[in-house]
Amino acid sequence: MSKRKPYEFAKPEKSGKVFWTSLEAKADPEAFQARAAAEFPEGVVPDGLVNSESLTLKRRTFMGVAGAAGALLGLEGCVRRPKENILPFTRQPEYVVPGVALHYATVVRSAGEPLGLLVTTHEGRPTKVEGNPQHPSSLGGTDGYTQAGILDLYDPDRSKGPAKREGEALVDTTFAEADAALTGLAGKLGQGAKLRVLTAPSNSPSFLKAQKDLLAKFPQAKVYSYEPVSSANRRAGTKLALGQAADVSVNYRRAKTVVALDADFLGTEPGAPRASREFFDARRLSSPRDAMNRLYAIEPGYTVTGASADHRLRLAARDAGAYLKAVAAELAALGVLADIPAQGEGDAATPAVSFEALRGAVNGAKAPATVPAQWVKSVAKDLADPAARGRSVIVVGTRQPAEVHALAFALNAALGNLGRTITLTSALDTDVGSATDGITALAKDLSAGAVDTLVILGGNPVVDAPADLKFGELLAKAGTSIHLSEFRNTTSTKVSWHIPRAHALESWGDLRGSDGSYAIQQPMIAPLHGGRTDGELVAQLAGARFWRAHELVRGTARELLPGDGFEQQWKNALHNGVARDYQPAALGNVALATDALAAAARTLTEGKSPLSSGNLEVNFAADPALYDGRHGNNPWMLELPDPLSCVSWDNAAYISAATAKELGIENYDVITVKSPEGASVDIVTWVLPGHTDNAITLHLGWGAENVGRYGDKVGFDVFPLRSTKSFGFGDGFTVAKTGKRYMLSQTQETHSMEGRPIAIDASYEEYKEKPDFAEYRSPVLSTLPLWTEVKYEGHRWSLVIDLNACSGCNACLVGCQAENNVPSVGKEQVARGRDMYWLRLDRYFVGEDEAAPQVAFQPVGCQQCEEAPCENVCPVNATAHSPEGLNDMAYNRCIGTRYCMNNCPYKVRRFNFLNFTGQVPETTRMMYNPNVSIRMRGVMEKCSYCVQRIQESKIAAKRDARRLRDGDIRSACQQACPTGAITFGDLNDPTSRVAKLSKLDRQYKLLPEVGTQPRTSYLAKIRNLNPEMQG
Amino acid sequence: MSDDAPIAAIGETRLLPEHVSSKSITDSVSRVTETRAPRGWWYLFLAAAALAGGLGLAIAYLVMMGIGTWGNNSPVAWAWDITNFVWWIGIGHAGTLISAVLFVFRQKWRTSINRFAEAMTIFAVICALIFPGIHVGRIWHAYYMLPIPNQMGIWPNFKSPLLWDVFAVSTYFLVSLLFWFVGLVPDFATLRDRSTSRVRQMVYGVVALGWRGSNRHWRNYERAYLILASISTPLVFSVHSVVSFDFATSVMPGWHTTIFPPYFVAGAVFSGFAMVMTLLLISRTVFGLHDIVTMKHLELMNKIMLLTGTLVGYAYGMEFFIAWYSGNPYERYVFINRATGPYWWAYWSMITCNVISPQLFWSKRLRTSIPVMFVVSIFINIGMWFERFVIIVTSLHRDFLPSSWGNFSPTIVDIMIYAGSIGLFFTLFLLFIRWIPMIAMAEVKGVLPGAQPHHAHHDEEHEHAGHHAPVAAPAE
Repeated sequence: MSKRKPYEFAKPEKSGKVFWTSLEAKADPEAFQARAAAEFPEGVVPDGLVNSESLTLKRRTFMGVAGAAGALLGLEGCVRRPKENILPFTRQPEYVVPGVALHYATVVRSAGEPLGLLVTTHEGRPTKVEGNPQHPSSLGGTDGYTQAGILDLYDPDRSKGPAKREGEALVDTTFAEADAALTGLAGKLGQGAKLRVLTAPSNSPSFLKAQKDLLAKFPQAKVYSYEPVSSANRRAGTKLALGQAADVSVNYRRAKTVVALDADFLGTEPGAPRASREFFDARRLSSPRDAMNRLYAIEPGYTVTGASADHRLRLAARDAGAYLKAVAAELAALGVLADIPAQGEGDAATPAVSFEALRGAVNGAKAPATVPAQWVKSVAKDLADPAARGRSVIVVGTRQPAEVHALAFALNAALGNLGRTITLTSALDTDVGSATDGITALAKDLSAGAVDTLVILGGNPVVDAPADLKFGELLAKAGTSIHLSEFRNTTSTKVSWHIPRAHALESWGDLRGSDGSYAIQQPMIAPLHGGRTDGELVAQLAGARFWRAHELVRGTARELLPGDGFEQQWKNALHNGVARDYQPAALGNVALATDALAAAARTLTEGKSPLSSGNLEVNFAADPALYDGRHGNNPWMLELPDPLSCVSWDNAAYISAATAKELGIENYDVITVKSPEGASVDIVTWVLPGHTDNAITLHLGWGAENVGRYGDKVGFDVFPLRSTKSFGFGDGFTVAKTGKRYMLSQTQETHSMEGRPIAIDASYEEYKEKPDFAEYRSPVLSTLPLWTEVKYEGHRWSLVIDLNACSGCNACLVGCQAENNVPSVGKEQVARGRDMYWLRLDRYFVGEDEAAPQVAFQPVGCQQCEEAPCENVCPVNATAHSPEGLNDMAYNRCIGTRYCMNNCPYKVRRFNFLNFTGQVPETTRMMYNPNVSIRMRGVMEKCSYCVQRIQESKIAAKRDARRLRDGDIRSACQQACPTGAITFGDLNDPTSRVAKLSKLDRQYKLLPEVGTQPRTSYLAKIRNLNPEMQG
Repeated sequence: MSDDAPIAAIGETRLLPEHVSSKSITDSVSRVTETRAPRGWWYLFLAAAALAGGLGLAIAYLVMMGIGTWGNNSPVAWAWDITNFVWWIGIGHAGTLISAVLFVFRQKWRTSINRFAEAMTIFAVICALIFPGIHVGRIWHAYYMLPIPNQMGIWPNFKSPLLWDVFAVSTYFLVSLLFWFVGLVPDFATLRDRSTSRVRQMVYGVVALGWRGSNRHWRNYERAYLILASISTPLVFSVHSVVSFDFATSVMPGWHTTIFPPYFVAGAVFSGFAMVMTLLLISRTVFGLHDIVTMKHLELMNKIMLLTGTLVGYAYGMEFFIAWYSGNPYERYVFINRATGPYWWAYWSMITCNVISPQLFWSKRLRTSIPVMFVVSIFINIGMWFERFVIIVTSLHRDFLPSSWGNFSPTIVDIMIYAGSIGLFFTLFLLFIRWIPMIAMAEVKGVLPGAQPHHAHHDEEHEHAGHHAPVAAPAE
């Protein structure tokens, strides 16, 4: 035996975790190895930004190369740079100092909710968005969608002007002609009996006012709302429960127990940035004495919410209602559904509530057969805990029907959560129906020939309307159709008029959140290609004299903001990014419609035909990158890996291992999914550990045509499978093999930690027993450093990443990409392992149950090692240490030996294998951050801790003759992070947050035994397990 | 004579058959450069030159498009580029070893093969030098690696093993080139003297540096040769040690290994001898040099291959032992992964070719069989390429964090460049055969019975006697 003491990683003491290898390796090691060796599974040749065409040798290229080969023999490196002249401003615009960024507050709509932003503009170009800490729906954080929105603004394929139909083709025209046509049209509408407007559900007061004005002018006209992913069902459920429309917002900060029923509230659901911040605030641990909330997630697919859950149940979406009913029955048994007597007096009075009918309705309800008994008992017990009264919340996913929302609302009321974890606000838009009501009514009108003029505001209903409505065919029945859209998408190609729509960063607007916050959206730049807003088009149609968005928004604000000092309030609202003076209308008396609730609860039963491999449930989910397809031409979003599957540049049919085995399919197989209506779609399979059996998750928004140069037909369009009946989910789907294979590219191909202490986690109990468990998982380094250690006297920058607060939402990746001009590389290059993410999100599956593993996320950027192994191997001194301990890259000096990349134990260095930035269109270049160099081919790059921000803040502090304050410098990832998991600061400042966090007991460094002495620290993840749920 | 002692000790009295004379040596060697090239030579040359042309094209394409035209990626940032580099450098080892080390140790049987081996060294090092040049991302800035004073005041990083490489390999190349050239001078003079055309006289006259074969010339030549041999001897060990530092000084499991320097040197000698053997067997057959390169030479070379192959096998085993003995789980994983992971076939090809195949040479019958030794030498060439591939790619493709693991697969450009480097090597080699005496005539004549033109101890005796004899006395 070896005499040396073995160097084993300490295992967590209680839960002996089975660590994962790749699923394929497990199932069929030989086939896996064959594939691994081939790297590219047989199938189509992918292409992307740097397409394979440019890499194949054609005749012309060959001649060029042959010529170059000759030239190379004679002379080398005589490169002349093109001569370009630049001109200075003759008259300097006010406030604009070249090189100094300006920041403006605004608000944009993200996943249906407003998100307050601070936008960085350089010489008039918005280059970066950040969360507005003053705005309640941001609290300083953002989501990936919004971070990427900046690239949509500069999309080279945006519509560049109005167009009208002439015969089969759309012909470019001018705004003047379009305006004239619009005015002419408005004159012929009469009472508007044959005018229909299709819009997305709006939370813009000025738009709703314009809409009201339109309906006042054309009383018989109708406005329908539709969005492929919408929260209409939630509002319908609230209306069902309350008898009146109301906006619901959840305060997760106060919730001790959260039950997320098919709800991805940390990911794709409305209001995720705020929910993330509040939810993780309630589990931020600075010592084992701190309290921690507990999340139960019940979901069919695997979402980031499920990954953050302490307990996760795999359950088909159709059975969610039945499960909730069983929990309700259990709660009734525990006495929670007791009648609530009338309370209080006057305005604060709440009337008595009788739950008798509801008790009757849920009495004896059984959970679906696949649900383990303790999942009803323990969850109900946790909710019913008297200490947690008013401190829990049941949140239901927006795709669930209104009845489930209504029942959850009733249970929340019974648990005392109303007014505590759940706040009700009067709804702005009281027109409430289910998600498909609007489009169904419009389709009916169209097929009845009742529509002469159809105005479609945004969206792409020809593609994304429920397939059974055949909206594309019906559209032809409208006499004149007008489509306002940022892109000339498929709907634009089928209408009589296309008018470009202004981007949110180009236009005036306003948004009200479901929490009652009201914010003004101000333009950062004049519309690049002209463009109108929804409100402007509606006001024009209504014949408003002042139809410009600025007037509309100010006019509405004048009505909404109380008091006399409007100008000051307006200025404050613009400056702060939120109008603090605004008070939403009073909601009035809230009384539960208990009979309606009981009736709703009765409808919730387990699906009739049992799910099997021949009767699959399909659930349609908003894509974590493209949402409903609106970011379909955004290379950042196309490349952004799915947080759970790590698939980039594609969507896939996510399916469980057991079901895949039963169906005889495996990863990369193309399958045909057939809906009960007979529609079918071919899509590639991806086996996702933890997916519910006999169910398929399909992500929306991919594979569409007419998207643009990057996203055209990238991925698989699943909208044809979606009908009004299976809008959120539906059963009766079948799958057939096609025998074809399709290549998927992934940013991470190994799902296991191989038993290594990398993304360290423990249960709350283990943490209490041994608070510094994380540090002891890796052996302590006993070798001496190679070189004399530097003592950092000035600043000592550091980043602390709290894995316990990381939801895996990807916002930091996109934020980093936007800040540091990180290129997207295309599908083929991702497959080759050449993605350029400076900050990547590692995802590992852990846990004993292979069918339902847990997930550990870990953002990994440069660890800024004090003993950086990359530095001493660079032959040309291109990467060196700064006096503040940063591992800097001198791009000009780098010759690209890639030795540093080899020697980096964290593999965070990124090499420009090809010319990734050369093909970026001129328009898109406007978005580049001028403070960060664009790296050329052949150069190594990596996370710099946002050194440009450090320098900017240091200069500002020096100019103001003050010391740098903690929080002056925030890295881009920190700023983007909605949960506050990332903290940057100076370790030499003992009062800084980062210094305090890096001393927490959960603290550990990644791979300390290599001797790199990383500056980045991680805080281990803690799972608050319910002891009753174990075993 | 004591001079013959090492040879006598291994049971030999004569290095060359009895009928070989000075004239027959001169004739058989010089004739190759003086007659028209045989048709076979042209076929080979055209094939090799075509491959070398492919190399030029592939490099031009690489420079135009970037390293992305290769299969390299993250985490496998080095792949065939450095594999080829180390492979060629290894091949370039035998030349100097045979010429210098064996010279210093007075192994006279080396004279028949040293020219060959030296030429091979030069060409192999030329092929090797291509790779560090073209594998960088910005080739036009590759000169940053050289310590050239510049206005930025930046020097190369002297801590970087890659920089040590630059010095080690370029020194090795220069010394080997000098050594080779110095050895060639008397033979160039022979060719000059035999030349019938004016052009040949001029060209060989220039490169013969005015050699007249005078005693003073021979004395200076012997001194220079000995000094260069003495400089070269440590280089044989230093170059590949330094190349191994590229890996050994890193932190990567599978690279960070103290056994690397001796292991690399043994491997380099092993692969160098194998390549000399391959080429020698071909030329010996094609040009009928059986009298000069005898079975004894071949057998001795096979014994060295058996020794170094076994050393290399020991190193492979020791790596595994240390991976287990150190208790380092990353190291352990890397080695288990080498043998059983996605690149198991590369590992087992390496073991088969490098460890198992030379064991055949324990048998006298097999180590004196031309077909067997030819096949084994080819096997070793392949195996040693796989050894570098295994070290580089399998260590990199699965390192510390599983999230970053990936695989490598070569592209057509990778293949063209590798094949092209072989083409370049053979192009140079074929040109060498046609224009330069491929056997060191002067030295072979020196081991003929009765011709001992240079003996260090003779000189010493004479110096002791304070007497300078113009011509060395016959040995027997």
